[in-house]
Amino acid sequence: MKLLSLVIITIISIAVSGQTRVTYEEVALQASGISWVHDNGRSDTRHLPETCGGGGLFFDYNNDGWIDIYFVNGGPSDFYLPKTPSKNALYRNNGDGTFTDVADKAGVACGQMGQFGMGAAAADFDGDGWQDLYVTNYGQNVLFRNKGDGTFADVTEQAGVGAPNWTTCATWFDYDNDGKLDLFASSFVQYSAKGSIFCGDNRMGKRYYCIPRVFKPRPSFLFHNEGNGKFTDVSKSSGIANSLGKSFGAVATDINNDGLMDLFVANDTVANFLFVNKGGGKFEEIGLPAGVAYSDSGSPRSGMGVDAADFDGDGWQDLFVANIDQELFSLYRNEKDLTFSDQPGEIAQATRLLSGWGLKFFDYDNDGDVDLFLANGHPDDMVETQVSKVKYAEPLLLFENNNGKFKNISAQSGDVFAKDFPARGMSVGDYDNDGDLDLLVINNGAAPLLLKNNGGNKNNWVGLQLVATKSNPGAVGAIITWTANSVKRQRLKTSGGSFLASHDPREILGLGPASKLDSLEIKWPSGKVDKLTNVPINSYVKIVEGEGTAKSVAGTAKK
Amino acid sequence: MARFIVGLGLWLSAVIVLIAQPAKPSNTDLIFARAVQFHQAGDLENAIKEYQAFLAERPDRSDARSNLGAVLARLGRYQGAIEQYNRALLLDGNNPGIRFNLAVAYYKSARVVSASKELEKVIALQPENPNATLLLADCYLQMGEYQKIIALLSPYEARYSDNKALAYLLGTALLRDKQVEKGQQQIEKIMRGGDSAEVRMLLGTTHLMSADYAKAAQEFAVAAQLNPKLPTVHSYYGRALSLTGNTDQAKEEFRLELENNPNDFDANLQIGVILKQDQNPDEALKYFQRALLVRPGEPNVRFYIESVRVGQGKVAEALPELERLVKDAPDFVEAHVMLATVYYRLKRKADGDREQSIVNKLNAERQAKQPGAQEKP
Repeated sequence: MKLLSLVIITIISIAVSGQTRVTYEEVALQASGISWVHDNGRSDTRHLPETCGGGGLFFDYNNDGWIDIYFVNGGPSDFYLPKTPSKNALYRNNGDGTFTDVADKAGVACGQMGQFGMGAAAADFDGDGWQDLYVTNYGQNVLFRNKGDGTFADVTEQAGVGAPNWTTCATWFDYDNDGKLDLFASSFVQYSAKGSIFCGDNRMGKRYYCIPRVFKPRPSFLFHNEGNGKFTDVSKSSGIANSLGKSFGAVATDINNDGLMDLFVANDTVANFLFVNKGGGKFEEIGLPAGVAYSDSGSPRSGMGVDAADFDGDGWQDLFVANIDQELFSLYRNEKDLTFSDQPGEIAQATRLLSGWGLKFFDYDNDGDVDLFLANGHPDDMVETQVSKVKYAEPLLLFENNNGKFKNISAQSGDVFAKDFPARGMSVGDYDNDGDLDLLVINNGAAPLLLKNNGGNKNNWVGLQLVATKSNPGAVGAIITWTANSVKRQRLKTSGGSFLASHDPREILGLGPASKLDSLEIKWPSGKVDKLTNVPINSYVKIVEGEGTAKSVAGTAKK
Repeated sequence: MARFIVGLGLWLSAVIVLIAQPAKPSNTDLIFARAVQFHQAGDLENAIKEYQAFLAERPDRSDARSNLGAVLARLGRYQGAIEQYNRALLLDGNNPGIRFNLAVAYYKSARVVSASKELEKVIALQPENPNATLLLADCYLQMGEYQKIIALLSPYEARYSDNKALAYLLGTALLRDKQVEKGQQQIEKIMRGGDSAEVRMLLGTTHLMSADYAKAAQEFAVAAQLNPKLPTVHSYYGRALSLTGNTDQAKEEFRLELENNPNDFDANLQIGVILKQDQNPDEALKYFQRALLVRPGEPNVRFYIESVRVGQGKVAEALPELERLVKDAPDFVEAHVMLATVYYRLKRKADGDREQSIVNKLNAERQAKQPGAQEKP
């Protein structure tokens, strides 16, 4: 009898868990039409830029309601001349699970001398309703203005945003709340093929990728959007250039709830930066006083990917930074007084031997709180000969948020989590418009991964497309507050985060099992507040600033 | 190996002290004779009683005090032994045997610095004392004073060219002082006698110094297998494992070292670091404090202790020691970072800013020494 009960309980629990589990499925690239492979240009000399790319992102370049994909490749530079053209790819989403590369036709393939690609960030910088594209390079960056006809124009020179030498991550945000998107670009080290340094083993005659410690740091760039297609370099006047860094990931967020967007920037082998926005176009770097610059042993780490979100639901933005193996990753809880405490919990043990790049807080199961995804890979392709427990290719990790504590659920979240990848860039978006968030992982020197979310939409949801009229076109800094089943939740629309990527600009609000949205409020960066009722669920809605209505748009998921 | 020689020396010196005293035909002397008899027979508790009874009558007898110290040391009651040896030395300050035994008692009670000071005095009295020399070298090894070992042992190198203990200690010091070529000569010397734990230990150290952690771990593993009691073998194996990312096994090796020698500096420090990373600050603190006992004033350990306190929110408690630390080690960047953090948390912004400017200056100096410093924009 007891045995029978046990069997019944087991069957029930399998059935229940089978119903609720959300998994990620690796999309077969050939079938989807994606044939792009990252070219890292790896040489015997081991030039550092080779190991830092590639990047990519989800964005809707043609406003057809389907999220497209852009990949950034290595390319010709002072240390690399590809034997066959090495190009970026723009994959138009055909809406049926397949993609078509239109990069050449669209004029965004790059591949010119001085365009060894890193990453990209999409945003509508000129407010014309079309997503533009900023591509970062070792060499010179490129700003592509979306002409709205399926093609882009290179407007880098007119805009004045070339940011020479080597930039990595870029973030669009409106730092002065003038309604236009400004641009931050992270500068990495001072580098040239001519000044290449031997880092390796003379006896074995092998070169390794140098630790960035040996190279000079550089100031990052902040460009103010003048609104006429031109930007002014305000790096110095804003205080950003006062801090010399070796910068990778950057996220724009509001750490002190003052309505001004701040910047958290990861640095490799030097202290991380937390630029707090003082208003009047000035930033103050407070990483050390805030407790996010160094490890808890006072050392700088190899910061790579970053993100920000209010993971514990206390109304304050928390921070995350991923580092290299054995340095541990940090989850910084906001102490609400411009200081943070590092409380990684289970994440520390799970990531001890990993090196993290692309990462993002997002709600993978639509239960309303933000979870965490990490894409990992060691920068040194020969690391296994030196450090036996550390691998070049590393596993992906997914952590579920359980009341502010993160639990590693990778093993239950799909076969892909049992594999290893040399991951770098990572973007989050709903490419199949089914109401749950899919993932794009760009692997160094290998094919990318498109991971389809299966089951995230079993919980109810509402997808928001925010259309600003007075605020910046990306609605970056908007505060979204919603209530469902008497549970009130809030989300700040941040920008950037992860690594060498930007993300689906739409926001999906998880409702859990609630069958309706009780209330929805958008506080726009302009200060305007829209309160909405009777918002349809399990579909995307367009909310125009100041109109107070939610209109259905394409993409209603079938549950 | 050094410890074996030392143990033998302790016993011999105690016996020599015993035999050296001529018996006197009195009741008091009979008590002393009984004490020696009990001592030699291994009846240590009765020996203590008799020595104490004798010393009540004859507190001026340094030999009896020294013998009492030896009995207490055999029972592992080192603090009592140290007290007796020190009182004996007040009566007979130039007795190298008593001072050597005092040094051994200090050594066994983790007071390595005190042991080294006493051994230096022994060697000043007896420059050719091989046991004192090797034990002092072992103390220096634990204190990380590699150059002192080289200075101490190099004069004996030619004369005792077949002494493996000397070659081992000197070779270890040379390798850890990054004098790899000279260190390898000592390895070759030991290797002539065939494979041994000492050889593997030195080979492992060579690999460790050249950052080949996987090979270092392999050599240390063999050394630990050949002689699990070889001083510092588990500690160095643990360190190599830790550097290859195998923290769990490293922790086990550090624990094994501490079973052999609870006062191993590196094992205490490294296990503390791992426990701190494991978010177990209270346990980490115990190991750091033990490491500090072995090497008093060691800046790294002092820093780790205070960083644990800062992590526990005890910022005011950490402040005085951090202020002392940056005075003692003004170029210790991490200590300045921690002190700045403490000032900021205590809302002492001006002090925090001052410390941060020191951090920035030190970091800029470090950066300027890097090979890529000359790269032009």
